[in-house]
Amino acid sequence: MSKRQILLGNEAIARGIVEAGCAVATAYPGTPSSEILPAVAAYADELGTKTAVEWGINEKVAFEVAAAASFSGQRACAVMKQVGMNVAADGIMSVAQFNMAGGFLLVVADDPGPHSSQTEQDTRFFSMFAKLPCFDPSSAEEAKRMVFDAYDLSERHQIISVLRPSVRVDHCRQDVELGEVREVPNKAAFKKDPKRWVCLPANVRVSHPQLNAKIDAIAEEFETDFDSYNYEVPARSEAKLAVVAGGVSFAIVMDILKATGRTDVAVLKIGTPFPLPVKKVQDFIARHDNVLFLEETYPVMEMQLPDRTKIKGRWNGFVPRAGELLPEVIEEILYRALGEERPKREEERLKAALQELKVTPKPPALCPGCPHRASFFAIHKALPAAIYPSDIGCYTLGVNQKMVDSVVCMGASVSQGSGFFLAHHVDGKDQPVVSTIGDSTFFHMGVPGLINAVYNRHAFVLAILDNSLTAMTGGQSHPGLGDKLRREDSGVAVDLVPLIRGCGVSHVSVVASYDVAEGTKAIKEAWQFAKENRTPTVVVFRHPCMLLRPKQPRVAVTVDQEKCIGCRYCITNFNCPGLVFSDEKKKAYIDERFCVACGVCRFVCPHGAIVAVDGEEA
Amino acid sequence: MQYVIVGLGGQGILFSSKVLGQVALARDEKVLGSEVHGMAQRGGSVISHFKIGPYNSPLVRAGEADVLVAFEQGEGFRNLHFLRDGGTLVVNIHQKEALENENLKAYLASRKIKVHAIEGYEILKKTMGGRFLFLNVLILGALCASGAGGVTFDEVKEAVASLSPERFRADNLKVLALGHEAIKV
Ligand SMILES: Cc1ncc(C[n+]2csc(CCOP(=O)(O)OP(=O)(O)O)c2C)c(N)n1
Repeated sequence: MSKRQILLGNEAIARGIVEAGCAVATAYPGTPSSEILPAVAAYADELGTKTAVEWGINEKVAFEVAAAASFSGQRACAVMKQVGMNVAADGIMSVAQFNMAGGFLLVVADDPGPHSSQTEQDTRFFSMFAKLPCFDPSSAEEAKRMVFDAYDLSERHQIISVLRPSVRVDHCRQDVELGEVREVPNKAAFKKDPKRWVCLPANVRVSHPQLNAKIDAIAEEFETDFDSYNYEVPARSEAKLAVVAGGVSFAIVMDILKATGRTDVAVLKIGTPFPLPVKKVQDFIARHDNVLFLEETYPVMEMQLPDRTKIKGRWNGFVPRAGELLPEVIEEILYRALGEERPKREEERLKAALQELKVTPKPPALCPGCPHRASFFAIHKALPAAIYPSDIGCYTLGVNQKMVDSVVCMGASVSQGSGFFLAHHVDGKDQPVVSTIGDSTFFHMGVPGLINAVYNRHAFVLAILDNSLTAMTGGQSHPGLGDKLRREDSGVAVDLVPLIRGCGVSHVSVVASYDVAEGTKAIKEAWQFAKENRTPTVVVFRHPCMLLRPKQPRVAVTVDQEKCIGCRYCITNFNCPGLVFSDEKKKAYIDERFCVACGVCRFVCPHGAIVAVDGEEA
Repeated sequence: MQYVIVGLGGQGILFSSKVLGQVALARDEKVLGSEVHGMAQRGGSVISHFKIGPYNSPLVRAGEADVLVAFEQGEGFRNLHFLRDGGTLVVNIHQKEALENENLKAYLASRKIKVHAIEGYEILKKTMGGRFLFLNVLILGALCASGAGGVTFDEVKEAVASLSPERFRADNLKVLALGHEAIKV
């Protein structure tokens, strides 16, 4: 019996993974991919499959765990966001050349925009680099179907299949058909064969040409056997424009054509952008004079065509070479490609109103009550002249408190601490440096940097902001917590402090994030020790994330309007959505819509104007 | 039917599209929507798109939305360009004076946009002891009452009941009714 349910794109993909008989699924969280793995666990529980479901400590580890499951003959998958593929790249590039035993699905979610990422890179391009076939879904429903075909393709050609959903597919909500778990014959039966499983140069000389042959064969299949993903929607009158589109851009074009009642645009949808079914695309181009390519975010399909002279696209800049192709963007491009005037809408009065009403978009901010805000304030108080390298997590938003001077990628706060130390040290300067990193990110890639700093004697303070969660991505577990995803599966929590000591750090202290005075003292002492002994030191700030809704005393506060002198110190250095500034009264006040009564701002005002409401202090 | 739902991260706007989806599914209609998760969700401006009917893309194009539901008035005004001419804004208002802005009034009039404003924070302060997390259900009630959402109060009530966790169900239904009463048409 068929059953339809409204699923998030990521849940649809997860459902496909479980239905396809995946035995080992791993991931490291990252927007927009994070909801896939928990949904795999939930469906595996519901449908009673044997699937092992695990968060890896980082993407490289997650990928390699799943890869060995495939070497053993099982169906496996690894899930990550696009920059996670950079972390896992070393493993992926090697394993790409292997003749896989069990089907392997690599799900990598892209983030054109970007909305929640440090780059706008294109996984289809990465697939091309690794010579791996790539599926590019345009909806949740299609993404789920692609999972099955990707597994079959993977087993037919003994190659990793890549599924590249972009954020609009991951986070779309659509009614999707649920199916049953398919019986697959796969079981663990690892056959020792060094030529196959050891990437010695001598073996690569054989496997690389084999990989080329596989990709050639897959290209032929994509030309003819995948018509449900690669198909033409002909114009219903004489075509004035021909559009080749992939991913969600295809869906957007189709909606625009329907809404505007146009019949003079032909569309070729491509769901397998690498290897591109070149003949199919060339045939479509040959039949039309005016050709437009819409793809996110690199011109990957265009790049695979020997002749691009006729094409309007991202290659020649007709389509903006960066950014998300939103409906309004595509609408503008379509009219421009057609050589027509786009219908204009008068928005002048609205613009004027927004200006008068001072309405501006609100950038992301740390939650009210967030422990990171308190930790940043303590660090600032202790060492206001320090350089503050930071990292990837909610605490990147400490930039609003001017407490984040540089961010590169996960783990880089630690290595930047080393670099800032060295740059000043060689000039004979003692420059204070306080790096901030989250608990999940410290496990992910902070540890090697810390060992490196101990080994090379780099003096700086590393503040680990431990909120018992991977928060930015929605609240996933990590090795420091120890819980696992499948029902009745449990892990072991890895203690942070012994781990830090094991890295060779001799000065480690742990403080409560809300205790600003203690935090300030701990940072001062840590820097003193670091400087005197030329070594990195660590302060762990601890308080549960607000997403965990921790039970904590409510300290309702108010701003004493007499004492407030309107200096904005609290706004600049604390920056809480619950503590705002009135431009009329030139004073700070509590916005009770957002304040969660954590009470920390009492320690912030240098004039003692922020006080607990009488009798409410718990 | 095309909806755009806007607000600030943490206001619980995702629940609204879940409810609308449940209503559509019960009617055996196709649904497609787009949500915001991740960094963009932390306290900043957020936007959900939601479409009921035979669409391909989860995004609503500017000028096409039938209804704009705004959990925060600034976010509502900022996203008015999503509405089609003759569309409807359902908005949670905390500074009523804004609606008297001459340019805003002229813009709304020229595009024949109908406005249903609800003083959500005031209502929740009075009736729910200031538990603002009920804002999402309150606004859903207002949406039903506006008559513009293409959904009936009973349909929404059923969906809210089925999607609410046990411990919130009774309160959710109470607040839904309050939202419904707050809008006079
Ligand atoms: C290589 C890579 N993988 C994943 C992500 C997605 N991501 C952003 S922040 C973050 C982790 C944040 O956790 P934590 O360091 O504990 O800080 P919190 O957000 O809890 O404050 C992740 C996984 C990323 N940006 N880069």
